[in-house]
Amino acid sequence: MADEGGDDSLYPIAVLIDELKNEDVALRLNSVRRLSTIALALGEERTRRELIPFLTDSNDDEDEVLLAMAEELGNFVPYVGGPAFADNLLGPLETLSTVEETVVREKAAESLAKVGTQLPEPAVIEHFIPLVRRLATGEWFTSRVSSCGLFGTAYHRCPSQMRPELRSLYGQLCRDDTPMVRRAAAHNLGRFAERVEPQCISRELIPLFQELTVDDQDSVRLLAVDSCGPLARLLTRDESAAHVLPVVQKFAADKSWRVRYNVAQQLCQLCEALGPDLARSELIPAFVRLLRDSEAEVRGAAGGKVAQFCSLLGANESCVVAVLPCVKELAADSNQFVRASLASVVMELAPMLGKAATIEHLLPVFLALLKDDFPDVRLNIISKLDQVNKVIGIELLAQSLLPAIEELAEDKHWRVRLAIIDYIPLLAGQLGSNFFQEKLGPQCLKWLSDQVYSIREAATSNLAKLAREFGPDWARDHLVPQVLGMVNNPHYLYRMTVLVAIASLAPVVSNDVLCHNMLPVVVNCSKDKVPNIKFNVAKMLERLAPLVEPVVVERTIRPCLLELNSDGDSDVRFFASQALAHTTPMISA
Amino acid sequence: MASSAVAENPYRDLDAHIESLLKCSPLPEQDVKALCDKAREILIEESNVQPVKCPVTVCGDIHGQFQDLLELFRIGGNCPDTNYLFMGDYVDRGYHSVETVTLLVALKVRYRDRITILRGNHESRQITQVYGFYDECLRKYGNANVWKNFTDLFDYLPLTALVENQVFCLHGGLSPTLDTLDHIRQLDRVQEVPHEGPMCDLLWSDPDDRCGWGISPRGAGYTFGQDISEQFNHSNSLNLVSRAHQLVMEGYNSCHDQNVVTIFSAPNYCYRCGNMAAIMEVSEQMRKSFLQFEPAPRRGEPEVTRRTPDYFL
Repeated sequence: MADEGGDDSLYPIAVLIDELKNEDVALRLNSVRRLSTIALALGEERTRRELIPFLTDSNDDEDEVLLAMAEELGNFVPYVGGPAFADNLLGPLETLSTVEETVVREKAAESLAKVGTQLPEPAVIEHFIPLVRRLATGEWFTSRVSSCGLFGTAYHRCPSQMRPELRSLYGQLCRDDTPMVRRAAAHNLGRFAERVEPQCISRELIPLFQELTVDDQDSVRLLAVDSCGPLARLLTRDESAAHVLPVVQKFAADKSWRVRYNVAQQLCQLCEALGPDLARSELIPAFVRLLRDSEAEVRGAAGGKVAQFCSLLGANESCVVAVLPCVKELAADSNQFVRASLASVVMELAPMLGKAATIEHLLPVFLALLKDDFPDVRLNIISKLDQVNKVIGIELLAQSLLPAIEELAEDKHWRVRLAIIDYIPLLAGQLGSNFFQEKLGPQCLKWLSDQVYSIREAATSNLAKLAREFGPDWARDHLVPQVLGMVNNPHYLYRMTVLVAIASLAPVVSNDVLCHNMLPVVVNCSKDKVPNIKFNVAKMLERLAPLVEPVVVERTIRPCLLELNSDGDSDVRFFASQALAHTTPMISA
Repeated sequence: MASSAVAENPYRDLDAHIESLLKCSPLPEQDVKALCDKAREILIEESNVQPVKCPVTVCGDIHGQFQDLLELFRIGGNCPDTNYLFMGDYVDRGYHSVETVTLLVALKVRYRDRITILRGNHESRQITQVYGFYDECLRKYGNANVWKNFTDLFDYLPLTALVENQVFCLHGGLSPTLDTLDHIRQLDRVQEVPHEGPMCDLLWSDPDDRCGWGISPRGAGYTFGQDISEQFNHSNSLNLVSRAHQLVMEGYNSCHDQNVVTIFSAPNYCYRCGNMAAIMEVSEQMRKSFLQFEPAPRRGEPEVTRRTPDYFL
C-alpha cells in the first residue's frame, strides 16, 4: 500500500503494516493497541485514506487482535478528523460486529454505539440508520444480535419520520426465530425504551415486552426480567401497576427456577421502581413465595434481600409480620448456603424492629444461627454484630456468642480462623476492654503460636488493632508482657512471630515501653543461633528506629546492626546492611 | 539523609523478578536465561548429598500447581523467613510449571542458604516432553529456549540432601548399587537422568511392603522393603529417609516402621485426585511435625494466552 521509496513519513505505517502481518500474535496485538499513536503520526487524512481501509481488510485475524481493534476504533473519532468524518469508522466496525466470537461482536457493537452518538445528523441518516437496518435484517444471527444494542442510539439521533421504521424493526427482532436474537432484544429493551416517546412505549413496546415474558425459552424470559425495572420507571404509576406489576408477579411464580432466581435478585430494584405503596400492597406475597421457593438458589437469593426489602417498604408492621415467619424458617433451612445468605443480612432487621420485637422474634434466630454447623453462617452473624448491639446490647447475645467465637477460633480450617480474627477488632469495640480482655484476650495471644503462618501473621496485626482500640496503657498491661514472654519459644518461626508482633505494637505503645521493655528483647534476639531470627531482628530494628530518639538509635540500634553486619551468614549481613543504610546516624556531616 | 549512606540493594533486579513471579507472571525469555546461568554457578558447588541445617521445612512434589505453592508458603511461611527443602518434581501436569520452577530457581539464586532444591524424576528432558512442561514453554514463549535453559539447569540439581546428618532427603528412594552416602557422593550427576543405574534409582524408586528389592511397576528404579531401609539407615547412622514421588491421600505417610516418610505437597493433584498436601517442619531440636493443607481457592483456571508455536508457521 504505502510505497517505501525513501519517504521517512511513511515509516510508521510501514512498521504497522509489517507488524500487523507479523507471525507473532503478540506483535500484531501490540501494534493494534498502538493504532492511535500511529494514526496521529499519519495525520487525519492518511488515517482515513490508508489506515482505515487497511484495517477493514484485516478482519481475518485472531480474536484477541480483533477484540483490541474493535475497542480502539470506538475511540478513533478524533484521529479521522472529528465527527464530520466519523462515518469512516462504521465500515470496519460493522464487519467486526458480525463475527462469530461473542466478545469481539459485543465490543464492536459498543464501539458502534459510541461512534453513532458523535455522528452529525446527515451522517446518521445517510450511514448509521442504514447500517442498523442492514444489521437488523442480516442473514446470519450474529449481525441481528449486534443490532439490538444500537437501537437506543439510532432512535435518539434520527429524525422523527424514521422512528416508526426503527420501532417496527425492533419488533421484528423481539419476534426473531433465533433465541439468541430474542435474548439480545429482551436484554436491550429497557435501554431502547428510555429513548422512545412515552405514548409509543405503552402502545408498542409493552406488547413486545409482554410477548417476551411468555417466551418458550427461559433464557429469554430471564432477560425480560431485566427490563421490568427500567420500564416501570418510564411508565406512570398506573401504567406500571397495569402492565409491569402483573409480569413481576407472574415471573415470581415462573416454572423456571432461573427466572425466579433473577426476580429474587432484582426484587429490590423493582420495589424502588414501583414505589413503596404499590410494592407493599402487591409484592409482599411474591416475596414470601420466593422465600419459600422449592429451589435453594431462589430461597438463598431472596433470603439475602430480607433486610433491604423490608427497609424499602418502610419496615412497617404488615411487612415484618409477613416476612418474619419466613426468616424463622430460613434459619432452619436444610441448605447451608441459604442459611449463610440469611445470616449475612438478618441482623440488619434489628434496628427496624426495635428492642422488644428484636428480643422476641429475632434473638432466637440469631442464637440458632450462632450455633450453626456451617462456619460461614456463624461468621456472617458475627460480622454484623454491631447492628444488634445498637438495639439490644451485647449482653443478651454474649452467652451464645462466646462459645461460637471460641469454636471458630479453633476451627480446623485455617481460613475460618483467619475470618474470625478479622472480626476481632469489631468485636472488641462492641464488648469493651474489660469484658474483651477476660473472655477473648487469651485467644488473641494463642493465635500467635498457631501452626499456620498466615494465622500467626494475622494475629500480629490483630494485636496492633486491639492496642489502637483500647489504648497504650491497656496494651502495656495486657499485651506487651504476654507477647514478650513468648520470645523463648523453642520454635524459630514462633520466636519470629514475636518479633513481628513487637514491631506491630511499637507504634502504638508509649516510648517508655518501647525503649525499656521491647527494644532490649529485640536486641537480645540478635544473639539467637538461627540466622532467620537474626535477619528478622535487623528488619524489625529498621522499623523501630524511626520511632525512638536518635540517641537510642545511636547507642542501641546501630551497634546491634553493626554486629549483625559482620555475621557469618550472608542473608543476616544483607538485611543488617540494608537496615543500617536506612537508619540515619545521629551526627551527619 | 546523605545519599552515600544508602547502600544500593545489589539484588534489586532479582527481588523485582521474585515479586513479579509471586504474582504468577513469567519472566521474559532473556531473564530466564540469565537466571539459569546464575543458578548453575550456585548448584555446581553443591554436593550430590547436600548438607542442610535445621530448622528446615521439607516439601514434596509441586507439579506446576503454582497457586498451591503460594498456599504452601501461606501455611509454612515465606522464603527466606522460613528455610525450605524441596524434593523435586516442580514441573509437568499442572498449568503453571514455568512460573513454579522459575520462582523456586529465583529463590535459590537469591537465598542460596535458605532454600535447597533437589532433582525429581520430572526434572528431565525426556519426561518433560511427555508430561507438559515442554508444551507449556512453547505455549508461553512461542519457542523451546526456556525449556532448554531449564532442562540444562536440571542436570546440576543435587540428587539428595542430608539434614544435620540424620534425615536423608531425596525424590524417589534407595538403590541396590548404593549402600552408603559416600557412594552417592561419588556419582557424576551432571547429565540427563539415565534409564537405569544408581542415579536413576534415587529419582525413581519406591518403598514397598515386601522385603528386599523388587521390580518397580514404573519401569524405572526399584521397590525396596523395610529391611533395606533399616539397613541403609543403620549403616549410615540416619534416623529417617524422607522422600516424595508418590501420591499419598493425607499428604504424608510414614512406612517401614518410621524409617521412611513420604511427603507430597500438591493438593488435589492434577486438579482431580482429592488428596491433601503436606509439608514437614524439622525443628531446631530435630523434632518433626507435619502440616497438612488443601488446595488454594481458585478463580477460573486455567488462564493461558493463546500463542501459536513456531512450528505451525
